[in-house]
Amino acid sequence: MNRFRHLVMGRPNERMIVDYRDDLRLFPTRAKRAWLLFLVLAWIFLPAVWDNAPFTILSEHGVSLNTLAYAAVFSIAAIGLNLLTGYTGQVSLGHSVFLAVGAYFTAYAGSTWDMPMLLWLVLAPALGWIVGALVGPFALRLRGNYLVVVTLGLVFIGEHIFRNWKSVTGGSTGTSAATVPVSVGPLDARNLEIFGREFDEDRAFFWLTWALVALVAWLVKNIVRTRPGRALQAVRDRDIAAEIIGIDVGVAGYKTQAFAWSAAIAALAGALYAPLQLFIGPQDFNLLISIQFIAMIILGGMGTVYGSIIGALIITAMPRFIEGYSDGELPLLGRLIPGDGLPAVAAKTTDDGLITVSSLNVVIYGLLIAVFLLVEHRGLAGIWVRIRNYFSTWPFSY
Amino acid sequence: MTQFLQACFDGLALGSQYALIVMGFVVIYRATGIINFAQGGALILGAYMTYNVSNTWGWNFYLAIVVSAVVVAIFSILLQRAMLQRIFRETIGVIGGLLLWAASVYNGASHAVGVVVGVVAGLVIWQLAARIEARVGARGPSELPLFGAIMVTIGVLFVVRQIVATIWGFGELNVEDPWELDTTMVGDVILQNAKIATIVLAALGLGLFFIIDRYTRIGIAMRATHFDHEAAIAQGISTKLVFATAFGLAGVVAALAGTSAASGANLITPQIDTIVFLAFPAMILGGFDSPGGAVAGGMLVGIFQNLVKTYVAQPPGWFPTDDLTWLGAGFERVAIFVVMILVLLVRPYGLFGTEEVRRV
Repeated sequence: MNRFRHLVMGRPNERMIVDYRDDLRLFPTRAKRAWLLFLVLAWIFLPAVWDNAPFTILSEHGVSLNTLAYAAVFSIAAIGLNLLTGYTGQVSLGHSVFLAVGAYFTAYAGSTWDMPMLLWLVLAPALGWIVGALVGPFALRLRGNYLVVVTLGLVFIGEHIFRNWKSVTGGSTGTSAATVPVSVGPLDARNLEIFGREFDEDRAFFWLTWALVALVAWLVKNIVRTRPGRALQAVRDRDIAAEIIGIDVGVAGYKTQAFAWSAAIAALAGALYAPLQLFIGPQDFNLLISIQFIAMIILGGMGTVYGSIIGALIITAMPRFIEGYSDGELPLLGRLIPGDGLPAVAAKTTDDGLITVSSLNVVIYGLLIAVFLLVEHRGLAGIWVRIRNYFSTWPFSY
Repeated sequence: MTQFLQACFDGLALGSQYALIVMGFVVIYRATGIINFAQGGALILGAYMTYNVSNTWGWNFYLAIVVSAVVVAIFSILLQRAMLQRIFRETIGVIGGLLLWAASVYNGASHAVGVVVGVVAGLVIWQLAARIEARVGARGPSELPLFGAIMVTIGVLFVVRQIVATIWGFGELNVEDPWELDTTMVGDVILQNAKIATIVLAALGLGLFFIIDRYTRIGIAMRATHFDHEAAIAQGISTKLVFATAFGLAGVVAALAGTSAASGANLITPQIDTIVFLAFPAMILGGFDSPGGAVAGGMLVGIFQNLVKTYVAQPPGWFPTDDLTWLGAGFERVAIFVVMILVLLVRPYGLFGTEEVRRV
């Protein structure tokens, strides 16, 4: 209905969608093209101005460029999970394992074989794809609760392997990814020099990771707006009905493929996570990480690509932000609540305070998941759609 | 042979814990059709309540178990009212009020001011939440897709775990139970008294459940509700009461499981709920909706896990290799998940569960 509101409301300025190609366009309106331009400019110039005035409210309180690079890595993983959960309706608590596959592969191949970046950027997702394709067929026989429990089992099995396959993963202590090559031709992210100007590692990783977010977002957007995407959504809405109208949900069908591609994207995120984190261990890939991914897509909006990115940004930045403010002065609440920092929040377990920062973060994840599911299950994307519709249908907004 | 019997006995004790945990899941699943991960939170709370009553207050240990069971049952019922029955705005109001009360007292306001601030804030937040709810049409998890309901309960689990850690700390605590590290010898088999007590505790808890389920009015009402929700309502069964009973019973068994997981040689930490995740294979084996299956699945998985543990450490003579250390420490915990996955491939609804009929 929304798409045809110009017919109903008679809005001469809005472009009329007259054929299929128009309907499929990625950036159909002028506003969306302006957004694209804005985002590209932000991508280029944000690292230059991040340490300056209005951004200091974030950058001086824990949300550094490095945090944004992490947010980019988690955005990629969240987009992958959204492809599986938001579009195909298959729940996975096992995405931390797919992330780990990519991360360990990169750490091992990069350190031991000195594998160049372009190669591990391709091979890590390929390995993730294979693992996902092995897990995927379980979703054919199981649904709902049972699938949740099996993917949960995957986390435990994965963690056991990571702790015990010591020659590759380094066991419980973990393995270093500090020497993984992160360079394309003359451009090295660890020592970036463009036209004689040197840029530090944080900036280089910001550009690298967010470029890959754009690539993955574009790929996934292309999947979901064309035939495979509609097939996935049909499977999500009612898989038996989808099967009856001729959508292949067999062993090599759409469900398995959704698992495989989603795992491949998560493995790509893991591949970037390893050199960013420098040192990875089993504790980086536990159940909480999987839950965080789910929190990201619930918060951002299930079944949207941009929602995954927004969710990942908020869920990644929020803990650092709270930590940054836990012993600093509050920007707005400072006048309402006397004292330093957030009330009753301790920065460390030894400090005085009602609740520690890490506990508070976990509590907030839990509450965010619960509240968003109960109040706005389409997430922030849903709220945005609501606001947009309010104004675009004004004065008939009801 | 001694080795085998020892493994079986230890497995039986572990299986009893699994059976108690799975029973909690099954009761709630039969009533509401969701897996309630918050059951893990109830288990943590049960363990810490027992600790608090018996150690901190110095009450009799057995009394502490009863107190803990009652408290967790009440907690469970309140949780169900808050999360599943649309008293969402009231919950938000109460939480907000409490938070602001704590914040204002913490920031140096007197208690009187703090209470006034808390009450006013609670009322305002309650009204705001009600407005928002009316505007956006908030839904209870029972109306959510399955995934949503599960995620809500996982969210609750994390919240409860952190709140418990905030109250009692992250450190290891030792419950002063009467069994401690005492053992009884039967032949060459060492029976830890705490494990015997676990089996007895489980037998009591499960016996109580089966009596209620089989012979009382509310038990029959619970089974009727599971069988056909709408028909049960049409017969005049109060589903509210059924839900409350289910969650209350689940709370009781969770408290028992938590206490037994904290007794004997074990210490309690907020991570004690790991055992809840380890109980999932037992639940799958038994099937989600079969109380008998819960007991059978729990015992099978418990014994299997201990047999694997024993024979991986010391493979029997006929086994082609006598060194299985490459499987890693704690392999038995993974083995049960592998078995679970294999069972699911053959019987997707568990060994004793009801096959789900799918319609377009």
